[in-house]
Amino acid sequence: MSKIKVVHYINQFFANIGGEEKADYPAELRVGEVVGPGMALAQKFGDEAEIIATIVCGDSYFNENLDKAKADILAMVKEQAPDIFIAGPAFNAGRYGVACGTIADAVQQELGIPAVTGMYVENPGADMFKNKVYMVSTKNSAAGMRDAVGKLAPLALKIAKGEPIGASCQEGYMPNGIRVNFFEKERGSKRAVKMLIKKLAGKPFETEYPMPTFDRVAPNPAVKDLSKATIALCTSGGIVPKGNPDHIESSNASHYGEYDITGVNDLTEETYETAHGGYDPVYANEDSDRVLPVDVLREMEANGVIGKLHNKFYTTVGNGTAVASAKAFADEYAQKLIADGVDAVIMTST
Amino acid sequence: MESEQKIRERLTGDEMNSGFMIITNNPLVNEKFGGNYHVVFEELSFEDTLKKVRDRIYEGHRLLSHPLSGSVKPNETPYKSVMVSENIEGLDTWSMEIIENAIHACGKFQFRSDKYRPEVYEDFRLIDCTLIESAIPSAECW
Amino acid sequence: MRLEVGHIFIKDIQFGAESKIEDGVLYVSEEAVKEIVLEDEKIKSVKFDIARPGESVRITPVKDVIEPRVKVEGRGGIFPGVIAKVDTVGSGKTYALKGMAVVTAGKIVGFQEGIIDMTGPGAEYTPFSKLNNLVVVCEPVEGIKPHDYEKAVRLAGFRVAVYLGELARELTPDESKVYETYGVLEGKEKFPNLPRVAYVQMLQSQGLLHDTYVYGVDAKKTLSTIMSPTEVMDGAIVSGNCVSACDKNPTYVHLNNPVVHDLFEEHGKTLNFVCQILTNENVYLADKMRSSDWTAKMCRFLDLDAVIVSQEGFGNPDTDLIMNTKKIEAEGVKTVIITDEYAGRDGKSQSLADADPAADAVVTGGNANQVIVLPKLDKVIGTLDYVNTIAGGNEHSLREDGTIEVEIQAITGATNETGFNYLSAR
Repeated sequence: MSKIKVVHYINQFFANIGGEEKADYPAELRVGEVVGPGMALAQKFGDEAEIIATIVCGDSYFNENLDKAKADILAMVKEQAPDIFIAGPAFNAGRYGVACGTIADAVQQELGIPAVTGMYVENPGADMFKNKVYMVSTKNSAAGMRDAVGKLAPLALKIAKGEPIGASCQEGYMPNGIRVNFFEKERGSKRAVKMLIKKLAGKPFETEYPMPTFDRVAPNPAVKDLSKATIALCTSGGIVPKGNPDHIESSNASHYGEYDITGVNDLTEETYETAHGGYDPVYANEDSDRVLPVDVLREMEANGVIGKLHNKFYTTVGNGTAVASAKAFADEYAQKLIADGVDAVIMTST
Repeated sequence: MESEQKIRERLTGDEMNSGFMIITNNPLVNEKFGGNYHVVFEELSFEDTLKKVRDRIYEGHRLLSHPLSGSVKPNETPYKSVMVSENIEGLDTWSMEIIENAIHACGKFQFRSDKYRPEVYEDFRLIDCTLIESAIPSAECW
Repeated sequence: MRLEVGHIFIKDIQFGAESKIEDGVLYVSEEAVKEIVLEDEKIKSVKFDIARPGESVRITPVKDVIEPRVKVEGRGGIFPGVIAKVDTVGSGKTYALKGMAVVTAGKIVGFQEGIIDMTGPGAEYTPFSKLNNLVVVCEPVEGIKPHDYEKAVRLAGFRVAVYLGELARELTPDESKVYETYGVLEGKEKFPNLPRVAYVQMLQSQGLLHDTYVYGVDAKKTLSTIMSPTEVMDGAIVSGNCVSACDKNPTYVHLNNPVVHDLFEEHGKTLNFVCQILTNENVYLADKMRSSDWTAKMCRFLDLDAVIVSQEGFGNPDTDLIMNTKKIEAEGVKTVIITDEYAGRDGKSQSLADADPAADAVVTGGNANQVIVLPKLDKVIGTLDYVNTIAGGNEHSLREDGTIEVEIQAITGATNETGFNYLSAR
């Protein structure tokens, strides 16, 4: 029986080319080469499979040249005609995780070749792609390589052979929205009692069915007296000073901006613009107040409707930005708002 | 539960007795209860009957019985009877959540209701009838 | 309450001239049990059959599965308010015939279901394939109403089980177990440092083929209430429901409630098993409000630290389940809930009809929509007439080669929500 053919995708770091400074390395096909983590995979494959080619691509190059990188890599994979495509594992490297998910998904969709990847559950690529591509759950750093390969290799072989894939907890992949039945060692009531004892003791336990999250946030009580309150304006609509001095990305933002509006009563075409790549920017560029209503709030301030408009605003781009990232930004700047005595926030979005 | 809370706040003892109507596609329910109660009967599919209930809810009628009552699944049985308030009481989010979830659940089950022998339909009508019947004593005293 | 349950192992069932239990074999006089069933004139005729584990036998459609027991010492009798007179049960001594069951089968309504395969892949999904089953197949008299007939079959099954249980009265059990719970004060004194835990059992209560009885009372008409967990061991709760087969609790499951058993295993060690709380799953929404309010109120009243909640059914009961969970958690009482799932044949749909983040500790009995192909078996007890229409089946369910393609929804006890089985999902 012939060996299963694998094409493996890794980034510049795992290919030993370099770190962040080499993240702009363009996609490169290395036929017949097993590189970096590929060696651990190959060892786990034994006789059953072989890596016929490794594709190396810098994370920045991939994310900033999405269309070209995808097209180039897909062509490479198509030419190699593997039985399965493996990307990563990416652990907690965000752009690497997103790249792995993106390319694995594209290989499946456009070439019809099965794909599998792996990363840490909090990697932004996880939420984005775990329902589209089988994604092994790894530890949060490359120290967990052995564990990752231990799950990735067997799963890849199973998928390549077309064998039925068991439940997520059996095969080590992140629950992907497809419920799969299997027989446990203990009956349900026993598992329930054990779970209860853990929960009572405050010990961690794993629910067998995570409730679908509707992510509702309980509102705080209403502001008692607006006329004395300090209101801050925040946005996910990407409003930034003209020229986007901090280079907030037009999608999948990696950071937020904090800008001082002391003395600014109105946002104009000359002074502000939008960085957001998800909507037609014309009107926001003409007058950014349309997304971040500084002018209206200043009026209210002047008329005593509100106490005052906070002298800073916080902005990021919501387009394609991972929930985890958005949460992280807000966690951070909420602290600053609290420290600055802000009473309430108006968050605009698009 | 916020919506449950709102129902309680809004309703006094009298209002809770505003009366009910049964929306159904089950001719047996129409036959059995149409004389004594307000029954709105129309020959629609299971899912369309639920959508009709949904329309009433968005008009402001309160949902009184659970649209997924009984363990014969949506589309396995063609019949469904649901109770809503006679009067318009205002938009109730709990009612909206339940009916939307119920309509959503219809999609999970294989459509099977045109595949049975005639006697079986009689049994389905009967079960749907007893299910809505079990709600009537409660409806009458609440 | 203190109850000693003696187990008498039954390794085989045979028909014989007289009914008796000898060397672990149950001999059944067909004539005698026939008479017992036909006591009720609503039943036109009855046939008996035996199905043993591993045999190529399929039983369908299944109504109820019942374990024969007998009250040897103490107040009351088995199935109080139903067969025995109303009296508080759950203390003294009771014997159970282990390794066997009485299975009632035969048509009640035309879309009936419930398959028990004694061998093959289907056998793995039902716990009843491991038992020696005495199957009681009834036929109704002409023109009888389904309500009356359902009741007749239900009671006939219990009568047979009680008759068989009686045969064990003078025997010595092969093994015994003692179960004991205490009053509130007594329990606190005995186990001052153990967390107080109760079992909240939700009972199906929606109408014909969807009812459960507590001491003979229709659960629809009850307010949430408390019970000693040993009472179920004497048949205080019996089943009147069987639709759909996978997640309904046959009387066998009530008698052998696994949550009760597994909590007793920890009782006095890691927790104080205080009591059982019963609540229903009515169709009328305001009833749900009342029942869940009451249940949460009792949890608080009893100063509980945690509860296990089990439900019965899908859809309508999911709303009760979530209401109970939210309100109990809001009282500061921790919950673990047991349910099953209807995630569609592809496993992608939302498993429950309702959800809430408060339900953060869930045990699942698996996805009931999973499709399975059952092989042709040599013998069918009951009839295959309804296989095509059983919930989960379709027009092409019964294939030409005799195999059946069906969702596990149709297999009796497959996704049981008291955690009786080993099936789960992720």
